Amino acid sequence: MKKFYLGISALVYILILSNTALASKMNDNPKVVVLSQPYSVSDDAIMQILQAIPSPLEISMLIKELGTVYNKTDLNNSDFVSKYNTSFKKALNLGVYGTDLGFANIYSKNQDALNYLSSVKKLADGLSIGQFFDYQTIKKLAESANNFDELLMTTTSNFEKINYHLSQQGRDHLSILLLTGGWIEALHITTIVQQRSKHEDLKVKIAEQKIVLDQILKVLQMFKTKPEFPGLISDLNELKKVYNEISIETTYGQPTTQEVNGMLVVMDNNSSTVKVTDAQIDKITSLIRSVRNKIIR
Amino acid sequence: MSEEILKALTQLFAIISKQDGGVTNAERDFVIEYFRLELDTKTVEEYIALFDQFAEYGIATKEVSDKEKRKNKRKLTNVRDSVRTLAICKKINKTLNQQQKVIVLIKLLELVASDRSFTSQRMEIINTVSTVFNIPTEEYKLIESFVFEAHSSQIDHEDILIFDNDKPSEGSKLKYIDSGQLDGEIIFIRVKSVGAYFTKYTGKDEIYLNGQLVKHESVIQFAPGSVFKTPKGAPLYYSDLVSTYNTDQEVDNISFNVHDLEFKFPNGTIGFQNINLSESNGNLIGIMGASGAGKTTLLNVLAGLESPSKGNVLINGYNVHSQQDTDKIEGVIGYVSQDDLLIEELTVYQNLFYNAKLCFGDISDEEIDKRVMAVLTSLGLEKRAHLKVGSPLNKKISGGQRKRLNIALELIREPAIMFVDEPTSGLSSRDSENVIDLLKELSLRGKLIFVVIHQPSSDIFKMFDKMLIMDTGGFPIFMGNPIEAVTYFKSASRQVGSDRGQCATCGNVNPEQIFNIIESRVVDEYGEFTNKRKVQPEEWYKMYLDHFSLERLENVKEDPPSTLKIPSRIKQTLIFSVRDFLSKISNLQYLTINLLEAPFLALLISWVIRYRGSSDGEYIFRHNDNIPAYILICVVAALFMGMSVSAEEIIRDRKILKRETFLNLSRFSYLTSKVLILFAFSAIQTVSFVLIGNLVLGIDGLHFMYWLALFTASCHANVIGLNISSAFNSAVTVYILIPLLLIPQLIASGVIFDYDKLNNSISDKGKVPLVADFMASRWTYEGIAVEHFKSNKYEENLFEFEVLEKSNSFKSSYWKPKLDEIINQTSSLLSNKNDSTAPIIQSNILLLKRELRNDFYTKSQKVNIDSLVNEDRFSSEENTQALREYFNQVAQFYTLGFIRASESKDSVLYKMKDDLPEGIDQSQFKDKYYNDCLEEIVRNTTVEDRVVVSDGKVVQLMDPIFNIPSLNRSLLDYRVHFYAPVKPFLGKLFNTYTFNLMFIWAMTFILFMTLYFDVLSRIITWFGSITQNVGKKSK
Repeated sequence: MKKFYLGISALVYILILSNTALASKMNDNPKVVVLSQPYSVSDDAIMQILQAIPSPLEISMLIKELGTVYNKTDLNNSDFVSKYNTSFKKALNLGVYGTDLGFANIYSKNQDALNYLSSVKKLADGLSIGQFFDYQTIKKLAESANNFDELLMTTTSNFEKINYHLSQQGRDHLSILLLTGGWIEALHITTIVQQRSKHEDLKVKIAEQKIVLDQILKVLQMFKTKPEFPGLISDLNELKKVYNEISIETTYGQPTTQEVNGMLVVMDNNSSTVKVTDAQIDKITSLIRSVRNKIIR
Repeated sequence: MSEEILKALTQLFAIISKQDGGVTNAERDFVIEYFRLELDTKTVEEYIALFDQFAEYGIATKEVSDKEKRKNKRKLTNVRDSVRTLAICKKINKTLNQQQKVIVLIKLLELVASDRSFTSQRMEIINTVSTVFNIPTEEYKLIESFVFEAHSSQIDHEDILIFDNDKPSEGSKLKYIDSGQLDGEIIFIRVKSVGAYFTKYTGKDEIYLNGQLVKHESVIQFAPGSVFKTPKGAPLYYSDLVSTYNTDQEVDNISFNVHDLEFKFPNGTIGFQNINLSESNGNLIGIMGASGAGKTTLLNVLAGLESPSKGNVLINGYNVHSQQDTDKIEGVIGYVSQDDLLIEELTVYQNLFYNAKLCFGDISDEEIDKRVMAVLTSLGLEKRAHLKVGSPLNKKISGGQRKRLNIALELIREPAIMFVDEPTSGLSSRDSENVIDLLKELSLRGKLIFVVIHQPSSDIFKMFDKMLIMDTGGFPIFMGNPIEAVTYFKSASRQVGSDRGQCATCGNVNPEQIFNIIESRVVDEYGEFTNKRKVQPEEWYKMYLDHFSLERLENVKEDPPSTLKIPSRIKQTLIFSVRDFLSKISNLQYLTINLLEAPFLALLISWVIRYRGSSDGEYIFRHNDNIPAYILICVVAALFMGMSVSAEEIIRDRKILKRETFLNLSRFSYLTSKVLILFAFSAIQTVSFVLIGNLVLGIDGLHFMYWLALFTASCHANVIGLNISSAFNSAVTVYILIPLLLIPQLIASGVIFDYDKLNNSISDKGKVPLVADFMASRWTYEGIAVEHFKSNKYEENLFEFEVLEKSNSFKSSYWKPKLDEIINQTSSLLSNKNDSTAPIIQSNILLLKRELRNDFYTKSQKVNIDSLVNEDRFSSEENTQALREYFNQVAQFYTLGFIRASESKDSVLYKMKDDLPEGIDQSQFKDKYYNDCLEEIVRNTTVEDRVVVSDGKVVQLMDPIFNIPSLNRSLLDYRVHFYAPVKPFLGKLFNTYTFNLMFIWAMTFILFMTLYFDVLSRIITWFGSITQNVGKKSK
């Protein structure tokens, strides 16, 4: 069963990440005649920005490796799904639950994972992208796959379809909301764990999100005329003010090549230094909590 | 007679006889004779002594010389005697009934007449006696002259009848019956006030009354069943006498002719045969026979309840069994069955009152009340008038009173001909006699009455004017005077004393004797009775044919009299309803259970399923996963309650209905009244059910919607219940049938078993199976579920946008990809075309065409479908590409529609949020009115295949609630998928809730018609006759 949940959470991650793939897909499809798009946004611009966003999965894995204890109250309540009525809320929280599902899954909390799965499904249905959460297919995949990687591979293509679908429908704003929700939840969990463990790595991780936030805000700005977006933008702008005080210096090194097991691998030699105070982290912690609470309530 | 009374009588005798010259020997002899009749020898002595003492017998003779002294005393004695007389009479008044008092008075008069000294003193005392006894003066005078006068010519009164060979002189009021050669005359007197007859004989012939020699000049009571036998002439029967007396009464003229009547049961056995009767009004006719001789069957056929296989029954020439004569016969016949035909929950008075109201539509309630009270008084039931009848097990009134009430029900409308089946069975001899007395009185008033009687007592037996005796196999074997019957059978079997019908000393007849003779069996060589009868029924019948010849009466030419005036149908409905209502409310247990059942069940169900979905302990309606099941349970409860409350209705009334067939009341009115009352019950039950259930579960604002649907279901069940109640003959059968009717309602409700997963032979993908359309459960459940989802306060504003959103989304996300699949399949098949792929290609092309033809966008674009989709289209990838592109275009159209709808929906949500009152947020609002589980069910979100290809079309299995059926269908085709938000019919779309309820009402109406025409009962009878025939053939 674990594989099954893992598969689902993987699906959600990939859904978020594979926005990247969308741009190229779109360009490969010259035959599609877009009748009319109510909000014309440059797809390329979005895609470029989104490419840089790291996966929430990465953070989750990091947290687990630190040996922190799983705490259910850190995550969103799966019952809250019934509170989300508008597409805006649904998309945001689909992101939130996606992160939660992955988190629960990494810790092998099957019951919680099941609850998040059901919430994810409900929200996806509500957004009319439920066809990509076909239990039957996912179940089969989970049964047939011998390892996690294979399942990831198989499901990736499905999620490219979701993005393609949303984009083709001219609902890119939902994609960014999905992403934002997932990012906010991941950041929220990181801050909480950081408060508890005071781990340096996490501090850096939190600070590094400055770049991500900037990019998210850029995309959100494009949809500021849509209902409920202004609120979210202004909340994130508050967060941005704190982040602005943090400086990240990147030292660029020349990439080198190295032979590993007979394969030629390119090594990234860039490194960055983050300057962040505990007070700033505390401020980020409290701000991200209030933003997140607004979203899930 | 008690000692006290006898002593009082002795005193009276003494007082009278000692007046004016004391007791004469003749008087004393008379008294002694009287004592001898009443007492045994030993006590007679005692009473003679007593009489002597009171009458101063012997003392008086001693004092004869002292006349002076007595004269002085005389006045004083007179006063004292008068006072004593008064005291004695008052004592007698308390004990004896009127008839017995008349007998006492006659005795006193006889005493005086014995020495014929009618002094004023004596007469004065007797006069006092008659006054105290409350005997009408005129009648007293008549009795006096009857006793005193030696010859009838001295008395000229209509209550006197002579039985003589000489006719009374012209102009005389006397009645006359020819006796043949007779010395002197037999004089009869009718004492009207008590309805008794007395007689005396003035001649010297040997005259026998009931086999006893009649004493010259003595007055004897002529009791019912008595018979006079004179040496020369024909015997005089009581009934002849009575009818002679009654000839001058104004009576209905009726002829009742039965010709060669025969009845065969459906299985071919003979009920009775060769019955010939010819009767007129004023007769009480008994029907006797061994059990199984067909008495009751005969009665039923005579009454017209069953049709004969041969022969006919004519009342004044009108055939009882013919359809065209029914209106002439209507109200002429009364039928009292062996069973009680009473409404047990009503009082004696109410039973009669409503029965009378149904008979007399033209009479006011006050008048009916008067009649009812009069009938009750005449039957001695007036003190029981307001007692409930009660069941035979839970008796409130005695068996005799029940029987009398049964007769009273017929009596009140005074039918000219009455048929009474075993009125005395199970009654005490006293009660039996009362009942037969009542019938006798009716016959004397000119009615024709047939009574099936079983083991009658001697007195009862003698009361009949005629007796028809039947033997096994339905043969008539005797018809005539009851007492004759004994002599007839005695002589036929050559028994000793065959000329005597009744006991010489006590006058008793033993009717059992008759059957002992008829059925006497052969004795074998060991002296044991064998099973073989000495005389077979056929032989008796042969003898009957030899001995009896029927004098046919002319058919009376006028219409038979009918007092019936049945009220209009509406009035009947009203009367039926009131009667039913009263009987129901008087049954407290029934009423309590019926009215408390629903709220109790509702409380139980709703409390049990009041489930807390959330963990924080607060009940939230939205998270209660039991709501769809609750709706089903509501429907099942409504059906169950509706069916069980009605299932016994008609069965319970069946007996009463049988009686009322003679009234020709409207079945429509009867059924309407039933339906009205039951619907009222259903309304109350469902109201209490919905209020409590919905309140506990927190279903807000939909009470009326729930109620109307459940009420509809319950009414439907009521009529189903009435149907089975009318078709089957026992309550047990009906209750066994209820699960048989209810469980299919559950199976085919669409909740427990998915319609798409039923047996393939009934399941129809994307449509509700046809069998389920006969189930009210499915219509009600679907109606409530759909309406609840559509019109709860949260969803009502959103619903139309969601329909747009979801239907567009379906088209672009499911429908179009499915068609893409089909295009791909077709083009790949075409590339290696062979015999097995050709039909698939053809059907795929048909499917594509069909889908496009029903497609809204394609229709609006006026695309030429035939040129767009054909086999040539798949011949090359390039050609196919054009088709694909067309479908992309279609999908984009729907995507746009989806986005617009989705945005509109969001804006409605924002507006709703703003409109909500302070302090309530949208989630709370949704929690209160929306139910997630219901949504899941009506949107069918758990289905694996959201879209399938079946039967040459693409079938949408997801979101049925948002799937608007197309109108591209025949006008009468209403069949669509389950949970459709609207239903197509007659080229229009109707709201599902409205349509479903109308559908149930239509079914209910049809069931009412089958009930009215008793279709189910006919089918069962027909089926029964078929199986019987098959059974016979196999034999």
